[in-house]
Amino acid sequence: MTVTTPAPNPARFIRADGPDKVTGSGRYTADLTLTGMLAAKFKYAGIAHGRITRLDTTAAKAIPGVFAVLTQADVPNVRFGPFVQDRTLFADGVVRFEAEIVAAVAAVDAATAQRAVDAIVVEYELLPVVNDPETALAADAPLVHTDWASYGASGALVRERNDASFSSIAKGDVERGMAEAAVVVRSRYDADGCHAAPIEPRAIVAQWEGDKVTIWTSTQVPYDARAGVCETLELPANRVRIIVPHLGGGFGGKCGFHFEAHIAALAKAARRPVRLLFSRREEFLAPDKRRESICYDFETGVSSDGRIVARRVTLVLDNGAYTADAGFFSQLGAMHALGPYRIPNLLAEAHLAYTNHQPSGSVRAPTAPQTCWALESHTDEVARAIGMDPVAFRQLNAVDTGLEGPTGQIYGEIGVQECIERAARMAGYGQQLPDDEAIGVAIGWWPSFAVPSGAYVKIDGDGSAQIITGAQECGTGSVMTLPQLAADELGMSAADFQLVYQDTSVAPYDMGATGSQTLFNNGRAVIAAAAQIAQQLRALAADHLEADPADIVLADGQAFVAGTPGRAVPIATLAGIAAGGELLIGHGSGMPPGPPPISGSTCVGDAGMAAWVAPQFSCHAVRVKLDRDTGVARIMHVAAAHDSGTIINPLGAEGQVQGGVLMGIGQALTEGTGYDNEAHQRTAGLLDYKLQTCADAPPIDIHFVQINTPNAGPRGAKGLAEAPNVATAAAIANAIAQLVGAPVRQLPMTAERVWDTLQEVAQNTIGGAA
Amino acid sequence: MSFTIARTVEDALAAIAAGARPIAGGTDLVVGARHGKAALPADLVAIDRIAGLDDITAGSAGLTLGANASHHAIEHHPVVAGSYSALADGSALVGSPATRHVGTIGGNVMNASPAMDTGAGLVVLGAEVELRSLHGTRRVPISELWSGPGRTIAQPEELCVAVHLPQPAANSGSAYLRLEYRRAMEIAVVGAAANVTLAADGTVAAVQVALSAVGPTIVSVMGLDTLVGSSVADAAEAAAAAASAQATPISDVRASDRYRRHTVGVMARRAVETAARRAAGETIAIPVNRTLGIGAAS
Repeated sequence: MTVTTPAPNPARFIRADGPDKVTGSGRYTADLTLTGMLAAKFKYAGIAHGRITRLDTTAAKAIPGVFAVLTQADVPNVRFGPFVQDRTLFADGVVRFEAEIVAAVAAVDAATAQRAVDAIVVEYELLPVVNDPETALAADAPLVHTDWASYGASGALVRERNDASFSSIAKGDVERGMAEAAVVVRSRYDADGCHAAPIEPRAIVAQWEGDKVTIWTSTQVPYDARAGVCETLELPANRVRIIVPHLGGGFGGKCGFHFEAHIAALAKAARRPVRLLFSRREEFLAPDKRRESICYDFETGVSSDGRIVARRVTLVLDNGAYTADAGFFSQLGAMHALGPYRIPNLLAEAHLAYTNHQPSGSVRAPTAPQTCWALESHTDEVARAIGMDPVAFRQLNAVDTGLEGPTGQIYGEIGVQECIERAARMAGYGQQLPDDEAIGVAIGWWPSFAVPSGAYVKIDGDGSAQIITGAQECGTGSVMTLPQLAADELGMSAADFQLVYQDTSVAPYDMGATGSQTLFNNGRAVIAAAAQIAQQLRALAADHLEADPADIVLADGQAFVAGTPGRAVPIATLAGIAAGGELLIGHGSGMPPGPPPISGSTCVGDAGMAAWVAPQFSCHAVRVKLDRDTGVARIMHVAAAHDSGTIINPLGAEGQVQGGVLMGIGQALTEGTGYDNEAHQRTAGLLDYKLQTCADAPPIDIHFVQINTPNAGPRGAKGLAEAPNVATAAAIANAIAQLVGAPVRQLPMTAERVWDTLQEVAQNTIGGAA
Repeated sequence: MSFTIARTVEDALAAIAAGARPIAGGTDLVVGARHGKAALPADLVAIDRIAGLDDITAGSAGLTLGANASHHAIEHHPVVAGSYSALADGSALVGSPATRHVGTIGGNVMNASPAMDTGAGLVVLGAEVELRSLHGTRRVPISELWSGPGRTIAQPEELCVAVHLPQPAANSGSAYLRLEYRRAMEIAVVGAAANVTLAADGTVAAVQVALSAVGPTIVSVMGLDTLVGSSVADAAEAAAAAASAQATPISDVRASDRYRRHTVGVMARRAVETAARRAAGETIAIPVNRTLGIGAAS
């Protein structure tokens, strides 16, 4: 049973950085200009796989206005990577995808830099292109990394040849479970990769002063970027300062360490500040963050009363040419393929296959939307096979409070069942619909990431306050929630606080705008920091009002004696007193909650994704209208119910769900990255990579199931930035499958793929009749 | 390198004769240059401030669109919407509100994209393009203007100054619609326009159909004369079959040739049906794609 407890005084507030961004007064990295600044350009491989037989930068260096031309020979010989150290800053003799950086140029302007790039001579011996993740796993497949075995790597990873990370989850006896099942359903699904596509192509400016470098960069993870610069250029952390001006969106695409070290190295060699501005095409091709394509083979056995008794599933994920942050995706993908269901007997096996594609990496809820799409399409097939209503099937088989998940984690209070009930009700599930409309339903889940994080809070002599935090804002508005938390702790108003953030040299560590973790972890840190000041204020007030510090209450900008509101002193007055004595400074971090216990399962290649702290659940129900003559689907209405714990700012939370849903619609229908036979991306631009527009947005009804979650973040909050992107494509798929008469087995479910499936259904029907 | 602001057509023609390229809204020229399609010409003459060149004039002889008439103005002009609906349907689908405010009919026509949204409508409505140079003026039937993707028969010193449309026949109606994957910033996957005249008995007295994005230029569907006297339903089916048969689509990342060949037939059928409904006096709001949800059911 779940207990619904509304958040204390949920405040709908407009984020502090909103007016700057809307009016154009906000400054982004590309807006910066430094005296003497040069323009950077990269020389890309242009081919997917080849050995460099000649690399000559002589002509490029001779062009007037060129200040520096760098290759791997000019930087420390360091292999890096968060899970597998399989990468170098520049190509180290072999190029492994089309946008591998071979050389970098700094010149007086972009045109000169481009001329120099064009003047760099590179010759290749072509190597066989590994263009398909499944065949990459064959014993005789050409290797993307011939030296894979010698690379350093996280001890948790299980690696073999082109399989950069194998992971399996096993529980019970899947053979016996299948044998005992009344019906066994097998399905194959293929999801194309897709892109984060933030509106701001990335920009980086680097400037050295003596032996210290300052780098302004559009990153979601400033400390990660700093760590990458320190590792590859062999610098201590205190000589590298990362500053992020306003960030123009990320969606995961700006997680990880990217090109900061290239630009710092150029600036050092040129002895001038250097700026990199990506084109839209570069933003598509070069970052090691593209949502991984995955293919799935599902097999699920159910009893005659509709209970799932066994599941076997195999996933092959496209790692691309380098492992980036995808090392844990095989286990995360396996968890999503098993799903938030009670399954006594199961085996999931996932492979992360090297190919000669752009490296995969975190894009909003990595592995989740495409795996939810495949799993939930399969779930509808299973329900249909035993003649059960898909919603009733989920209500029967989904996990719930006190029950056990796929790895044997016993859940505390969770709201998945309430999400199903709410989403179905908001969508009008079961209503009579026209022949060309249907409602599809899907459930999804996502972990909360409990990690270290830090913040300072100070109140100056005039009573105004600052939060100095390592947290990074990527557009979620999450950082903007922090003043509310500090204000509540100190009995002040959120407007009393200004934020200082996105500068690694002034604030303590935070993991960054990644893993939906800002509020969960940095909120904890800010509250801890504010609590230290609250203690100082109580002591000051007690002294001032001649009372016991334990009796002092902080509220409405004042400190007063409990039960005697007349005995009060403004906090600003106390701040003035403190300014002449012990200053009001707090620092906080707080211990992140540890992982919940699991038992009864065996996890190979355990990258830490088997046990989920404060898991989030969702159910989306989507009404779709289908033009059967063309295969074009239109989304008429979305109902989204979310258990993301307590909601601190409903306005921001609703924005996250709306954005996640719209991104999910794009992934469902129009966003996909295909490769040609030479492993070149076919849609590396916004003309052919079709994001959804405001004109396409359907009405979206949202409900937050707010329950008492154990081990959650501040006030019971979980994350919310990624969860809304998980279940939308799946729900759309289940509506389309009803209208078509069969599931569309490739993502995105483009109009042509829907139409092709309609033709297959028609042929099968005619064939069956004949 | 030069940038000339022309105040009169004659100013513009002189600059063009000297080698400058005209620029009005710049939605193709500038975007194309940014995407590396073709570098910006060294010499440009801006024609957007020429007085009167954006006039839309309706009279007994028909309709004249100044070359600078914007898609927004065309979409919202009552005579265009009422009597030349296929053109308004097309203008209303171009790009985004920003594109429609600066993009012009002259630029759209002379850019000669086979996927242009106004082209098929102009063909079925019998448009002529007025080309002017320092040496004189000529009128070219629009279906003869385009010689290939991005190419026209206009001479380098000629400027498109107007598009002329004849008075539509009594009891006629027209429509343009396209297959689209999203509702803004989209390019036709395929498109079709139809102009239908009905006889007193409700049968088809005349029908023209033209197609976008299924060949190197806008395709006029041939052989529809035989449909005179048939029912609208039969004419629509026959037009669909003819459209699919006469289309010569390519396969690219947006669609396969097979899918385009099929869907251009669907668009042609719906264009004939919609044009006939308008011919019969029904008001179907501009653009058809939104009102009827064609291509992406609304």
